[in-house]
Amino acid sequence: MSSDEKKKPEDNKEVKETSRREFFKDAGGGMLTTAAIAGAATLLTDSEDAQAKATWSEWFQKNYRLMTDEEKKDAIERLEKRYSEEYGKSVSVDGTPAMEGVLFGYALNIQKCIGCRRCVYACVKENNQSRNNPEIQWIRVIKMEKGNFSTENMKNGYPDPNGIQVGGNAYQNAGVTLEGEHYYQPEEVPEKGYFYFPMQCMQCEKPPCVKVCPVRTTYREPDGVVVIDYNWCIGCRMCVSACPYWARRFNWGEPNLPAEEMNPVTHYLGNRPRMKGVAEKCTFCLQRTRQGRYTACVEVCPVGARKFGNLLDPESEVRKILEKKRVFRLKADLNTYPKFFYFID
Amino acid sequence: MRPIISFITDFASYALKGGSKFRIWMLFLGFLTLLMFFGAYEQFTKGMIVTNYNDQVSWGLYEAQFVFLVGVAAAAVTVVFPSYIYHHQDLKKIVVLGEMLAVSAVFMVIIFIMFHMGRPDRLWHILPGIGIFNWPNSVLTWDVLVLNGYLGLNAVCGFYYLYKKYTHQEVNKLFYMPLVYISIVWAASIHTVTAFLINTMPSRPMWFHSMMPIKFISTAFAAGPSMIIIAFLVIRKNTKLEITDNAINFMSQIVTWCLGIAIFLSMSEVVTELYPSTEHSASLHYLMFGKHGLFGLVPWYWVSVLMMLGGFTILLIPKLRKEYSLFLPIACVLTFFGIWIDKGMGLVVPAFIPTPIGEFSEYTPSIYEIINSLGGWAMGLALFTLLVKGATGVLLGEVKYKGKLASAGWEPIIHSKEETYRG
Amino acid sequence: MDRKKFSRLLYIPVLAGLLFSAQAYAENAPAPAEQEPTECFESREGYTTVQKTEIKPGLPNVKCSKRTGGVLWWGDPYDGTQEMGPMPVEADYTHEPAVVKPRTSQLKYYAPCTTCHNGSMVPYPKDKKPRPLAMHQDIVPDAMDLQHGRGAIWCLDCHNAKNRNTLISHQGDEIDFNQPQKLCGKCHGEVYSDWRDGIHGKRIGSWKKGGQKRWWVCTECHNPHMVQTKRFQPLKPEPAPQFPRTRKNADHEKHGHGASHDTGHAEQAAAHK
Repeated sequence: MSSDEKKKPEDNKEVKETSRREFFKDAGGGMLTTAAIAGAATLLTDSEDAQAKATWSEWFQKNYRLMTDEEKKDAIERLEKRYSEEYGKSVSVDGTPAMEGVLFGYALNIQKCIGCRRCVYACVKENNQSRNNPEIQWIRVIKMEKGNFSTENMKNGYPDPNGIQVGGNAYQNAGVTLEGEHYYQPEEVPEKGYFYFPMQCMQCEKPPCVKVCPVRTTYREPDGVVVIDYNWCIGCRMCVSACPYWARRFNWGEPNLPAEEMNPVTHYLGNRPRMKGVAEKCTFCLQRTRQGRYTACVEVCPVGARKFGNLLDPESEVRKILEKKRVFRLKADLNTYPKFFYFID
Repeated sequence: MRPIISFITDFASYALKGGSKFRIWMLFLGFLTLLMFFGAYEQFTKGMIVTNYNDQVSWGLYEAQFVFLVGVAAAAVTVVFPSYIYHHQDLKKIVVLGEMLAVSAVFMVIIFIMFHMGRPDRLWHILPGIGIFNWPNSVLTWDVLVLNGYLGLNAVCGFYYLYKKYTHQEVNKLFYMPLVYISIVWAASIHTVTAFLINTMPSRPMWFHSMMPIKFISTAFAAGPSMIIIAFLVIRKNTKLEITDNAINFMSQIVTWCLGIAIFLSMSEVVTELYPSTEHSASLHYLMFGKHGLFGLVPWYWVSVLMMLGGFTILLIPKLRKEYSLFLPIACVLTFFGIWIDKGMGLVVPAFIPTPIGEFSEYTPSIYEIINSLGGWAMGLALFTLLVKGATGVLLGEVKYKGKLASAGWEPIIHSKEETYRG
Repeated sequence: MDRKKFSRLLYIPVLAGLLFSAQAYAENAPAPAEQEPTECFESREGYTTVQKTEIKPGLPNVKCSKRTGGVLWWGDPYDGTQEMGPMPVEADYTHEPAVVKPRTSQLKYYAPCTTCHNGSMVPYPKDKKPRPLAMHQDIVPDAMDLQHGRGAIWCLDCHNAKNRNTLISHQGDEIDFNQPQKLCGKCHGEVYSDWRDGIHGKRIGSWKKGGQKRWWVCTECHNPHMVQTKRFQPLKPEPAPQFPRTRKNADHEKHGHGASHDTGHAEQAAAHK
């Protein structure tokens, strides 16, 4: 694709924008009031495409949780129609509710992880994240130093003015999250002297993000997954700030999702395409897991470090791990009770 | 009804008329506002991608202004409180100026909230009744309540008082005084709740301490009155309104005390965080000294410290504090900008560096953020100028009702109108 | 106020806007699109390869990484699988449909083996004593120094001398190449037990109890001939995330590592010297 081709429609838009801008200046020049801001805000809903009507109905729709079954059906049909037109293929939007007697849990073997980041991209392919500008990824893998203690470092310490002996080896940042590398790019993984630590939404039982949301657009589903009604989110980003695991991402601009890469099997609360100005995050691949399928990241992990299952089923993989292995939850001191467990063999 | 309409028109026409200095000032603010309309248009159509916000640092310049301006709004109480609790006669005469500041500051706060939001078109989702209001769980909903309540209280108190002055009537104390007392308590609440908004998130260790509300209030009561003093000095110089030295001295004492407390609290924070120097102090460490080779905020921090200490030193010396043409304005400007840095970018941004999972990423505002913020300030200052100018006219008696009132004294019909206004 | 002058002022933001937009376009110019490979590897390069095809119109069997050629996504998790077959120890696979991908189709020399190792063309060895290999050095470069078992085992402890199409258990029972877990489990009991519980290794398909799962068998990830030197075949990692808009590199991430650790303490330490 040449960059010229890409530019053309944008140029037209620029012309239109300029004329609109002039309008605003005339209207707003005299009055120093909020009216102009409110006016600019309405522009957001003033769409030029043929689907303006659908957009309006979407704008007026209720929070997903409060919709009647009929309204849910309408909303889903509207979306299916719009997405199918937009992406040029038959897109399904699923509204399957949580299964009875299921509480989803996840376990990750940090001893196994080699930091290949295949989970990151499996997730992107499955969940229709924005590919570029901004790039959105729900999983972040951190490279951590194993540390190297040496006798030489003994001499590099210093006696504190108060006489406290500080050893040079104190500066070894083995296993310190704050010292991790997020942008590592070696030729091959795993690298000698490092281990890897993937993080994503922990689906907390007591999620801080849900508590701070002023409009209850994000909530915990009965199967334990914390979801977002993208159509109800006002974009205040309180959840982004409140998450201790940095799991939430924000659509700073209109997401860039190439039609050919779009995954047409979607769920209303899961991987359906998002719009600008809303938060998103891992949903344990709701669209798959509620149909009984493993999450995309579990399936792709080449070392089998990722495990998923029903925490209420004693025979499930996760429950067997909780039974057999040593597990820990990340930042357990915050009482968020993640359903994402880390374990070692 | 007639007196109310004529009050509005008289007030507005007095406020809008002015000399060349006034015109240049308003033109300047108008220009910045126009720039903001452009910036706002870009942001509201393209999304927040025009800002430099990112997933690592998801709050920035707008939220910095928001936090700071809530403080300025709350600081109106530093005029109201001494007037009605201590019966400070000189301040009591100009108490309405404080209320005008509160109204303008909350107005600016609303502008910055609009810029903060990713989906301002969905603002109705947060309106109780038609939307969902996650109250009492979400602290943000508390903030919405207290800020709007505060705006209402100050607008009602201020304009009720001005209206009564305008029509040469006595204020109905049974109506007015309870509102004044409520607004005093309410002022503390807006800043406390704003502090709770950010300090109830253990995910951001830099914010997560119980000192936040008191530090917010003390810095607010230093920065806000600084701005009020400057406004007083400008008004005194340019209008016939009598603002006594006594009133100004009282305000500068408040600044001195509160700035002193703020500096003390900052020092406590630094010692508490840096002595043990845990992972949780990384943000403060980054702010003060830089970390991992990133030093973006370090100069700002130290400039802010110097400004606050400089301002405090001047204010501590009575002779300089009472030198109205040079040293007091300098001290006020130093205090105002010192706190603006400390409580704005110096508070909001480093809390995101590092991220909760340890990524260090610097942030500098984009040009759109800057023009939008400048414009937000300009619109607020323009409103403040107009409100204060109109209020001065009323206080001076230059704006007064020329018609005849239906009945002398308190008028039930007017009262009920005020009540509608309050709702 | 002069209206003309005023409107002239308006050009400034407009021009500024055009400038910014132009800059934005320059920055967002898309990189030339890479093509997805048609032949991908599942777990590790050279272990299991899949040809990319369409199961249904619009639904590919796999989606692969443009960068590494690794499979990132399965359209049908059971594509190309067969039943796991009987397993001696009771586990999940006894209660629910379990499938595996046959290994024999992935083995370089499986023609099948008895094509050559039929006792006449290549005679059966007389005993299990280690001896240098005449063939297959690409798999085991030095049979006298087999990189598995540290000298305790040799080829014929696992490969069936009399029927090379199969592997062999301790009891002398034949084991199918498609069920290597039965062989590996002979020694690696603990791992075998974890594998049966779904803790070690990997399964894709349905997480549900009773749902069909594709089990990954040992040799889809491990090469038994060189575990001592190369425990796992290392992988080329997928690309690092893009930097946030305000950052051009992540050089500062490296500051925290190594001897010159950059913290306040280090500065203090230097000051104390």
